[in-house]
Amino acid sequence: MTAYGFMAPAGLLVLLFFFLPVLIVLYLSLTNLASANFTSNLAEMEFIGLRNFQTLLNDQFAKKIFFNTIFYVLSTLALFNVTAALIVSLLTAHINRRAGFIFRALWILPRITTSTVYILIWRRMMAEAPFGIINQVNTALGWPTWNYGSENPWVFVILVNGFIGISFGMIIFTSAIESIPKDLMNASLVDGSSYLQRIRHVTLPLLRWPLLFVVTYQSLSLLTSFEQILLLTDGGPGLYRTEVWALTAFHRALSNYFGNTQWGYGSAFAVVLVIIGVVLAVVYMRVFRFDELVAEPRIEVL
Amino acid sequence: MMIRRSLLVVLALLLLTAVAGVQAQDAVGITIRCKASPPEEDWRCNSFAEVEEQVEAALGIAIDLNLIQDNAGWADYKQEFVLASEAGVAPDIILSGHEDIGAWATAGLIIPLDDMIGMHAEFEDIVPTLWDSHKLGDTIYGIPQDAEARPVFYSKLLLGDLGWSDEDIESLPDRVIAGEFTFADMIATAQEAIDEGVVDEGNGFWHRPSNGPDFLYYYYGNGGAVLDDMGGLVVDGAALLATYELLGGLTESGVMRSDLIGVDWNEVWHPTVAQADTVLFVAGGTWNWPNWAINYVADQGGDAYLFENIGLTLIPAMGTGSAITLTHPLTYMISSGSDNPDVALALIAAITTPEHNNKHAIDSFHLGILNAQLESEAYANNRLLSSAHYMLDHTTALPNHPGWNAWSNAYFVGIQAVETGEVTPEGAVDIAIAQMTNELGDGITVR
Repeated sequence: MTAYGFMAPAGLLVLLFFFLPVLIVLYLSLTNLASANFTSNLAEMEFIGLRNFQTLLNDQFAKKIFFNTIFYVLSTLALFNVTAALIVSLLTAHINRRAGFIFRALWILPRITTSTVYILIWRRMMAEAPFGIINQVNTALGWPTWNYGSENPWVFVILVNGFIGISFGMIIFTSAIESIPKDLMNASLVDGSSYLQRIRHVTLPLLRWPLLFVVTYQSLSLLTSFEQILLLTDGGPGLYRTEVWALTAFHRALSNYFGNTQWGYGSAFAVVLVIIGVVLAVVYMRVFRFDELVAEPRIEVL
Repeated sequence: MMIRRSLLVVLALLLLTAVAGVQAQDAVGITIRCKASPPEEDWRCNSFAEVEEQVEAALGIAIDLNLIQDNAGWADYKQEFVLASEAGVAPDIILSGHEDIGAWATAGLIIPLDDMIGMHAEFEDIVPTLWDSHKLGDTIYGIPQDAEARPVFYSKLLLGDLGWSDEDIESLPDRVIAGEFTFADMIATAQEAIDEGVVDEGNGFWHRPSNGPDFLYYYYGNGGAVLDDMGGLVVDGAALLATYELLGGLTESGVMRSDLIGVDWNEVWHPTVAQADTVLFVAGGTWNWPNWAINYVADQGGDAYLFENIGLTLIPAMGTGSAITLTHPLTYMISSGSDNPDVALALIAAITTPEHNNKHAIDSFHLGILNAQLESEAYANNRLLSSAHYMLDHTTALPNHPGWNAWSNAYFVGIQAVETGEVTPEGAVDIAIAQMTNELGDGITVR
């Protein structure tokens, strides 16, 4: 009972802010709730069974949006949230401590800057000639100008999100690197290892758990993120070129130029996302053997 | 004596407090929510402050007026009203596009006004055709706030460079009305301007860069209908194909840039077209004019610069053979949650006068809604309004139907698909109709 008592506050939070919303979204997805029949009374909503999911399956762009999401999550995760974060951590951990701190502080700026301000900066940078800053530099240097927004929208979507994502992995990795016992490094130095050899043979093997944690947490986080994409491209240009699943759920349920949003249909998109997230979480826990991470140490430290 | 005087002062203060309390208690609270681009559209809400005392005197009540006005995006603005209504904190009066009547009246968020309109003579003077877009079925749910036209702006500067005489340029609106200068002629002119190097490829013609009411006039102009005689949703395959052929052809030929949809309004679209030196023909809205004058060409002379370099005309004739435009009146609607709908309507009536509506019309270049207003000196002598008011004779409007958003989303997806060259016009028709039927089911007739 003591254990359950200790878990109760956290359990209550999970119940209130995860299970309950999931149940509500699941229920909404089985109704035809829209602005034209809007009510917050669950009993007054019209139950339509799985019709929203049937509509979703028949949606000719659902497949495209699904693969957009996979591409977005994998690219951002692989290039920035893990790789770039690891590189920044390794570099800043191996230079002067104060300089390393300053560099890391700079990398945190994208995360702490207000989303709208952050995206306004990017939009101004990538705008077409003669308005965009990058194109103004191109012009000054005599280089050709580009319409980055329409030519390479994914590059900027991934850059914008990746620059924010780096900071999370960077903090986790840096703290892990800093906590590597000095005697391991000293032993490695005595053996005559170089910087790269120490990173390859000492640091990286000891970062396994932080790496797996960052992959798990950030991939699930990216799966549901759409705020920056909404502000940067709103899923465009053209035909759903940068539209991701979470953004579609938002567009359907909460945001339409002509009003009358489809809460029920949008919830069906959200339910699919919840299912994917839960499945991925279970897979991660099994594949990455998280039970080993939280297992009691075999050596008792006094 | 001293004590007595003090007591009198205390009593007087208590009396004053009590009177003030009674007044505050009796004041009728009216909250009004408006969306307006500052400063030119601020009269949408600010006009109410000017008539507050007049209505108080007429009704013999005190009004506690709360005006909430900003330039939020339409999607957020509309969602806000729906959520506020459900939460029981909706404004008494909401100003929004007339097409919201379709969903909001169906949901019971706004009240019918037929029985109340007769109490105010001001409404009798509203241009009769405007009432059509304020009804769901035969019931009136809104009072027109303004009207506008969505014309083609043409660059006099660039047409001059192309070799057009002043007479050719000035007579363009008349030739468009007469059907002598059609949409096909406009495309040919734009193509010629590109070939001659007057404008760059992609800059012969621009429409708006995001979804909006404008796009429907291409469909109407090619003979399409959104509602049948019974008020049900329909889609005409032939008109849809003609529309997608037209818009797809614009980007395929290079007359219009294929990435126009998605271009930023404020960073690219307005600054480019307001100068009149880059794009030859621009499909916009009358309200763009004061925005350009104030925000984009003010240091070049504002209005004077625009008059010198830009003209406006109806959308030249497409398949139907008639020039066209579309008006999208904003409408004052009264929330079903309002405790004082009579007071709310009295306030709306008080600003539905030539005096008040002219301020908005002149400042924001929106067209008048009252017959008397059209005859008033201020309106008639306004060069801009007098150059555009005739467009109301050629106008169309959006439908009021709860399924309109699903219809328009699918229609716009087809436009995006064909303009980017991802599909043929026939493919775009298939995409749009498949999406309409998937989401509206039996609620739409394909013909």
